[in-house]
Amino acid sequence: MATVTAPRQQTAADRAAELNVLVRKQRSLWQDAWYRLIRNKAAVLGIIVVFAFMVLAAAVPFMTQWGWLKDPLKQDTPHSLMEPIWTGSKYTFSAYPLGSDQLGRDILSRLIWSTQISMLVGFVPVSIIFLMGVTIGLTAGYYGGWIDQVLMRLTDVIYAFPDLLFLFIIMATLRNTAIGDLQGGLLLIFVAIAIVNWVGMARLVRGQVLALKEREFIEAARAIGAPARRIMIRHLFPNILAPVIVSVAFQIPSAMLAEATLSFFGIGIKPPTPSWGVMINEGFVVFSTSAWPVLLPALCISIVMLSFTFLGDGLRDALDPRMKI
Amino acid sequence: MLKYTIRRLLLLIPTMFFVAVIVFFLAHAAPGSPFDAKSVGDKQLPTATIERLERLYGVNRPVGEQFVLYLGNVARFDFGTSFRSGRQVSEIIGEEFPVSAQLGIQALLLALALALPLGVVSALRQNTAVDYGSLFFATVGTTIPSFVIAIFAIYFFGVTFHLLPFVGWSTPLHWVLPTVILSLGPMAFLTRITRASMLEAIRQDYVRTARAKGLREQVVIVTHVMKNALIPIATIVGPATAGLITGSIIIEGIFSVPGMGREFLRSILGRDYPLIMGVFLLYAFLISVANLSVDLVYGLLDPRIKVAK
Repeated sequence: MATVTAPRQQTAADRAAELNVLVRKQRSLWQDAWYRLIRNKAAVLGIIVVFAFMVLAAAVPFMTQWGWLKDPLKQDTPHSLMEPIWTGSKYTFSAYPLGSDQLGRDILSRLIWSTQISMLVGFVPVSIIFLMGVTIGLTAGYYGGWIDQVLMRLTDVIYAFPDLLFLFIIMATLRNTAIGDLQGGLLLIFVAIAIVNWVGMARLVRGQVLALKEREFIEAARAIGAPARRIMIRHLFPNILAPVIVSVAFQIPSAMLAEATLSFFGIGIKPPTPSWGVMINEGFVVFSTSAWPVLLPALCISIVMLSFTFLGDGLRDALDPRMKI
Repeated sequence: MLKYTIRRLLLLIPTMFFVAVIVFFLAHAAPGSPFDAKSVGDKQLPTATIERLERLYGVNRPVGEQFVLYLGNVARFDFGTSFRSGRQVSEIIGEEFPVSAQLGIQALLLALALALPLGVVSALRQNTAVDYGSLFFATVGTTIPSFVIAIFAIYFFGVTFHLLPFVGWSTPLHWVLPTVILSLGPMAFLTRITRASMLEAIRQDYVRTARAKGLREQVVIVTHVMKNALIPIATIVGPATAGLITGSIIIEGIFSVPGMGREFLRSILGRDYPLIMGVFLLYAFLISVANLSVDLVYGLLDPRIKVAK
């Protein structure tokens, strides 16, 4: 560093005054995207609802400890199939604001308890998918070679069968093994969803890397002798992040939906652990006599799905205005 | 083009082989015997009976050996016998595939019949109430899972107002709910695609040229905009087939439609290996063929696209 001391450090404002222009506080691209996101009303609504469900899920252990939340497993057969209190029917019971299922379990506390399952299923497998997909996609895209070949052949096979079919078969066959019994089947669901979906993420990352790696800034980094790992982490990764974030925003709800669908067909979460899918599955037996035990969890699923879609659409528009459909 | 087609058709063989490997070993990885009480779904059979059944169906041999035997049989178009019903897998599929195909085709046609006009109109009337309405429908239709919509539909049309039957497939009235609900997902998706593709086509230079030379608006829209806008829609036939297949499993399960989807659910729950393999291979084949035909048709429809290699 040459030590030529300037008489006075010129600030951006000074320079702007010199040029007689108004200077705006500088914003990064990410800040720009953030402003675009929060101007989108539907996306903000989505963020608020998703956040509310996350807080609710995180609060479940405390609410249980403080006795605010009734035991979701406690059966009370004299008060089974109660209707929600607002219906004004004579089959209501003030202790169960949203009614009870056919075993007399409180629907409200079961719904709240289930948010934990949904949030865990949304975030844990998607984190695994993110880590695996980005690492393998970056490596395959940057180096090419055999990793790339293996990845592409794998995607060919995976693309020949729809995700849900694959999930069904993994769950149906492995749910009676040791791993299927851990945490009421939750762990197996994590693994199954991650196995089915990481390939798509890796392919997305690989495609982005292939497009970027011939660009000048990567060439420049290589020219000044940056090691491959640094190029991948500091130069490629931040530039592929936008589509990856959008994809993650859509994978979270689809993972939750996968759990709900599997549980609805009786091969997801093992009862008595409640989840929205399990509740629909159990309530379906008495659907024509009492619909509330099914309608309420179905409503919860719909709200969460819609919120995530609003958020995902908003993120896509904010991060890349060109990606439109 | 011919070379490309043949190459892609030949590539189907290794793909199907790997699908078979994965599904076969996955299905056999389950602990215990397919004739346990857990799999059969009622009382435990005597051990001697289980052993006899296992010998009869060859499931007592090493898995690798079973797989080689299975491949040999499949090469001779023998897909084995269902453990549960004792009938030929090909016979069961032959009976149920037409039902699923009917459901799928009805749903696809309904989706196309409504989505195309809706997408076109909302693009022509961009940012009006019609447009927002159809976008809202498209968002809801792609977002709310089909089994949830099915539940609401059964509640309103079946349980509350007794308008439509919702169990089975016996009369055309029974077809209504499953078909409509299965079509909602593809319909919403198609509406979005049609709208986006119309909007893109409207802004092309050749449309400006057509207008500039004084063609009537109707002619411009139909022969210049729509003709080009509908090309990308051909590409979604592949994903739509996959969506209809997964969708039909859920819908057939809920509405007790006697098709392949319901059979698939039953077979994986009952560990009926030959049936699992038969149904899965057929599904994978259909999806691969749909994807392939899309790639080929796309090249024919749009001469600007050159099929690579």
